[in-house]
Amino acid sequence: MIRWCVWLLERYVSPEIADHIVGDLVEQQHRGTLWVCRETIAALWYLRARPPQRDAFVHSLLADVRVSARLLRRSPTFAIVSILTLSLAIGATTAIFSVIDPVLLQSLPYPHADRLAIVWDRHGDGSRDDIGFATYRDLVAQSHALERAAVVGSWNVTVTGHGEPERVSGDRVSWTYFTTLGARPALGRDFRPDEDIPGHNQVVILSDGLWRRRFGADSSIIGQAVSIDGDPMTVVGVMPAAFANVVSSNAEIWRALGYAVTDPWACRTCHSLRMIARIRSNTSLGAAATEVDQIMARLAKEYPTEYASTGGMLTSLQDEVTASIRPALYALTGAVLLVLVIAAANVVNLQLARGLKRDEEFAVRLALGAGHGRLVRQLLTEGLLLATLGGVGALLIAVVGIPILVAHLPPDVPRLDAIHLDLRAFGVTGAAVVALAVIIGIAPLRRGRSTDLGITLRSSRRLASPGHHGTRAALVVGEIALSMMLLISAGLVARSLTRLLAVNLGLDPTHLLTLEFAAVGPQYQDDAAVYRRHNRVRAAVLAIPGVTSVAVSNQIPLGGNVDMYGVVDPANPAANAALVPNGDRYVVSPDYFSTVRIPILQGRAFAAAEAADTVNDVALVSAALAERLWPGVDPIGKQIQLGGATQPKRTVIGVAGNVHHHGLDAAVTFQWYVPDGQWAGADDFDRLVVRTAGDPAALAATVRQVVTAVDPTQPVLNVATMDHIVAVSTAQRRLALAVFGAFAVTALLLVVAGLYGVLAASVAERTKELAIRSALGATPQDIVRLVIGQGGRFTTAGIALGLAGTFALTRFLRSLLFGIGPMDPATLIGVAVLLTSVTLAACLVPASRAARLNPSGILRGD
Amino acid sequence: MSILGELEQIVLAAVIRVGDSAYGVPVHDEILRRTRRVLTLGTIYKTLARLEDKGLVSSTVGESRAQRGGRRTRCYAVTPVGREALQASVRTLRRMVAGLDIGWEPT
Repeated sequence: MIRWCVWLLERYVSPEIADHIVGDLVEQQHRGTLWVCRETIAALWYLRARPPQRDAFVHSLLADVRVSARLLRRSPTFAIVSILTLSLAIGATTAIFSVIDPVLLQSLPYPHADRLAIVWDRHGDGSRDDIGFATYRDLVAQSHALERAAVVGSWNVTVTGHGEPERVSGDRVSWTYFTTLGARPALGRDFRPDEDIPGHNQVVILSDGLWRRRFGADSSIIGQAVSIDGDPMTVVGVMPAAFANVVSSNAEIWRALGYAVTDPWACRTCHSLRMIARIRSNTSLGAAATEVDQIMARLAKEYPTEYASTGGMLTSLQDEVTASIRPALYALTGAVLLVLVIAAANVVNLQLARGLKRDEEFAVRLALGAGHGRLVRQLLTEGLLLATLGGVGALLIAVVGIPILVAHLPPDVPRLDAIHLDLRAFGVTGAAVVALAVIIGIAPLRRGRSTDLGITLRSSRRLASPGHHGTRAALVVGEIALSMMLLISAGLVARSLTRLLAVNLGLDPTHLLTLEFAAVGPQYQDDAAVYRRHNRVRAAVLAIPGVTSVAVSNQIPLGGNVDMYGVVDPANPAANAALVPNGDRYVVSPDYFSTVRIPILQGRAFAAAEAADTVNDVALVSAALAERLWPGVDPIGKQIQLGGATQPKRTVIGVAGNVHHHGLDAAVTFQWYVPDGQWAGADDFDRLVVRTAGDPAALAATVRQVVTAVDPTQPVLNVATMDHIVAVSTAQRRLALAVFGAFAVTALLLVVAGLYGVLAASVAERTKELAIRSALGATPQDIVRLVIGQGGRFTTAGIALGLAGTFALTRFLRSLLFGIGPMDPATLIGVAVLLTSVTLAACLVPASRAARLNPSGILRGD
Repeated sequence: MSILGELEQIVLAAVIRVGDSAYGVPVHDEILRRTRRVLTLGTIYKTLARLEDKGLVSSTVGESRAQRGGRRTRCYAVTPVGREALQASVRTLRRMVAGLDIGWEPT
């Protein structure tokens, strides 16, 4: 410390005195560091030798800043509007770019991530699907373009022991999974090939998070057995904390896949595994895709009865991971850039208006001998001061806004944890600030250069320069056009959301509470035990006051499950597996339909006795499935087999209404329903649906307690109201609507401020002209009409331009729309009317001011 | 003859009191001991420099010493002109406060 003080003193204090003070400090350093520091600072303060030249520069710079600050204080409206405009625009831009950067722009956190791809089955209609294990093996054996490949299937388990039972998302992966991604465990080892075979795959790798949370970061866990779904499995490795699992972002545990080609679930028609691949460095993505397609087309010919697909597809992992959120984020980027442009135009406009008022000031200063450069510096300083203040506000907005944005993003967005105010976003802010500073600084300067001293000083603003006026009018028209585009986007998304929420889900989501509960472990090995548990849970929950009805189902609509079985009509078997319709599997307790209120269109729902009747197998089908299997024929009494022609025949006893299983915006899929006692192979996890008399959220805690109390060893999770599940399913559009709405309102305010500024300035400039008109007989109405006419021309031009711009913009919006086209006439007309009335309001104040002018006073006073 | 500021009076008096080897630290400590006022070395050296400019103190540069990191001391002594100036200042002050009832008895 003292050495640093000595260095400072010797550098900044004149040498003859520095020598003595340093001597004193060294001699007395036993008085403590604090004393030394204090003495150093004081000595620097009193004895600093100032280099004279720099001093002058700093002084004049400080003087410029002081003058600028004083000028801003003197026109507070201008200052506040400018700073707020800059803060909003730059802050919003920074926030959006902070989100987009890790999600869309940065490459995935794997070595050579650009060579990672996903391989798909391609159907005849161009749609794609996950692939079967047999296909994967053949592809790996035959491909030259793929350096490595792996398959992943989801594997959700309950971890018991080491505390409360816990539901954990995981994946079953082929032993090549981590090496394909280019990752390796931080602790222990990766899977070995000899563990990826049936019967030898009782091995798992843990994520860093699970390892810390559940096993207290105990490194001796390697080689030990942990209890998973009641079975012991050996932990062989722990992944590093930095391992980003973009393939399935929730997975916290991985188990060796252990499939054999002969397994029924390894079939070529099975679409249960996602295949990732690393392309060789000397092969392009396109070449790899062509090769995959050729191999799979050959396989489809080789096994004509086993493939529904006609070829293969290969897509970049990076594109795939961001595909779902990309349209919304691109639309937001576009929106925020529009706001930035509008804001910039507005600030320049404000500065132009202000520069007009300062003509005289500049003229006087030039006349008094100020150099042109000195004025330039003053103007640049003013711009920089504004931009700096705006930049500080922008950072505040970004810091507050980013967490809000992240909270509104759908939870399946990849790499959410990597979002933060990062350096590149700072860079964007910085560049925006500097660019705006230059624009603002130069705008009045150009006027200053063109200012003819004599005319300005003598005429006292008798002549307003028309070219300058044209610039400001163009800026306002541009602003109106851009805000029109934003308003239309917001309007379209809002109308889409309204339409989407008006879609009938197929059941009544109000007053409905759902939760997931388990039946895992040795005591639930046989189906009867699981179904007994279901009945106990239902009875216990039904006893809660306020609960009107309770049912159990293996899945619920919008639950995110893809669990489909082929539905075979034994009276009319399909020629090819591809022609068998697939239906969502619903294994339900008999009161499911009355609880969730799915209408029974024909026949009847299950009777309570049918859940226990294992002789007469029955089923319900959805209306769409009935129409697909037996078009125009009464389906009641028909027979179906679920999951293949070898399965038991079931009699259709009723037709249920269709439900939107995959999402409000997704096409209706087929569903079939079977009473739970009749389904062999009970699920580990089921959904409880509870209809309540009052607010379902109020009962959530009670229901959870009651279900847990039935068997405390079994986890209860995902307690949510159905309304909430519906809301989450529309999260992306809600986010888009919130952001577009906020931006559109901001833009509208900016436009009002801009238009008002231009008209007010125009009225001020034309005071004399207007006075002469009045004197010559123009009525106040004529004057109002004149000013409003001017504003109206701006608005008309802006709206026309905005419409043209909308054609370009809405192409990017299409994926966010639902039920309406991008050129929805109602939205376009509504926005035009809104914009016209708002701009009209902005014209009124300057217009009435013009009408109230006192012509004789003005004409005499000059 | 110039009029002394309060700080200049205090520093002059302190230099007289310390006697030989009146450099920064002893002057600082003397002022602290008698007045409980904490002056920084920077202030003291700055004041001493001003007094030297006015010819009220003179200074001699001593030997460099190891305990000062090889730096030399600059020791100050009050010149006769300095003594007179201090006397004049104190006299002026005495006259001004004599007989004033400010709860303070001039000695």
